Amino acid sequence: MYARSPAHGGSPLRTAVGLTGLLILGACASTPPPTSSLQGARQAIATAERAEAGRYASGELAEARTKLASADSAVSEQRMILAERFADESRVEAELASAKTADVKARAVNDEMTRSNGTLLEEMQRNSGDKP
Amino acid sequence: MTRINPRGVMLRRTLIATTVTSVLLAACAAAPVKPDGAEEARNKLTQLQSDPNLATRAPVAMKEADSAVRVAEQPQPDKELAAYRVYLADRKVDIARAQAETSLAEDQRTALSAQRERARLDARTREADAAHLAAANSEHQADAANLAAASSEHQADAANLAAANSQQQAAELQRQIEVLQARPTDRGLVLTLGDVLFETGRSGLKMGATGNLNKLVAFLNEYPDRTALIEGYTDSVGTEDYNQGLSERRADSVKSYLVGEGIGTTRLSASGRGERDPVASNDSAAGRQQNRRVEVIISNPAAAVR
Repeated sequence: MYARSPAHGGSPLRTAVGLTGLLILGACASTPPPTSSLQGARQAIATAERAEAGRYASGELAEARTKLASADSAVSEQRMILAERFADESRVEAELASAKTADVKARAVNDEMTRSNGTLLEEMQRNSGDKP
Repeated sequence: MTRINPRGVMLRRTLIATTVTSVLLAACAAAPVKPDGAEEARNKLTQLQSDPNLATRAPVAMKEADSAVRVAEQPQPDKELAAYRVYLADRKVDIARAQAETSLAEDQRTALSAQRERARLDARTREADAAHLAAANSEHQADAANLAAASSEHQADAANLAAANSQQQAAELQRQIEVLQARPTDRGLVLTLGDVLFETGRSGLKMGATGNLNKLVAFLNEYPDRTALIEGYTDSVGTEDYNQGLSERRADSVKSYLVGEGIGTTRLSASGRGERDPVASNDSAAGRQQNRRVEVIISNPAAAVR
């Protein structure tokens, strides 16, 4: 819109295209690293580690770390879009690790309770069985 | 038993055909632009949303998963971007499921806690009941023991009493025996009634000479389990046959008297021994007098035999 509105000649158009090209190149060169995405991934991994995801969801945690490493490499290769995607993937993977860990823990607690309830019931039945 | 309406069938067939065709057309149109893996993510999400236990749980994660799947489903010529979106959608659905399951487990835990509390309460109640029962039982047993003790005391008393009684009885028997002037022998108590009862050569009892016999009646009445054997004896004067007959008649006289005094006839038997078994010499008058006699042998009771 801007390119078209002021002038109708061929040379301004070419200038515009050239400027745009420069802008794009410049953007590529000067795009900052996806800091917030990387930070998000690191935090998510730290949270998962604190929740003992290494024990209960080790596959997901390892994947999250790999993705973060890939993001870091991409940053060093100046491939910022790729880095951001890796970082985001790392973050959801770490969040999944945390969610799975919580789930496994919750189930373990329930299983333990079910078992001990069963034992309690069994004992009660034994005790009451003793006394006719 | 529904009757098939041919027109309805036709209509349905047309409808099906149209639907299939349109689906196929849509599939042909949509298939190339829908990113790989988006379908799987959608299926996983649909599965999660149709699980009645999980659908309403973890609403935030569920919403994020839903929008992520929508984004992933959008046609995207940039393969890498499409794969990235599918990846995010897939993981977000997994997160939503894990969170929903955690929430379900937490709810179930509440129920389990309640169940455990109930079980514990039941156990305590049962224990208390059992203790109660045991206490009642032991009281019962204590009562029973007291009762048994009382009863055994009672029995001991009874035994003592019985012992005292039997001592008393033995003493009484001894006294009676002494009164009767009977002598204990292997056959029983032997009571000798002298010839003072009878006139010489007669078998009828002398009047007023029944004092000793009355003591015997009293004794037999006192000890109803005892039977008596009445034996008549004579001296050697006269013929043997005569003496035999006389001894029998005298024994019978004694028996008749006793029966007349109320002693059961079954408890009494009489026999004549004649001149046999003299207790003294028949050469002297004193000896002959001793030989003329009636002996009453009182049986020992069954218990006393031991």
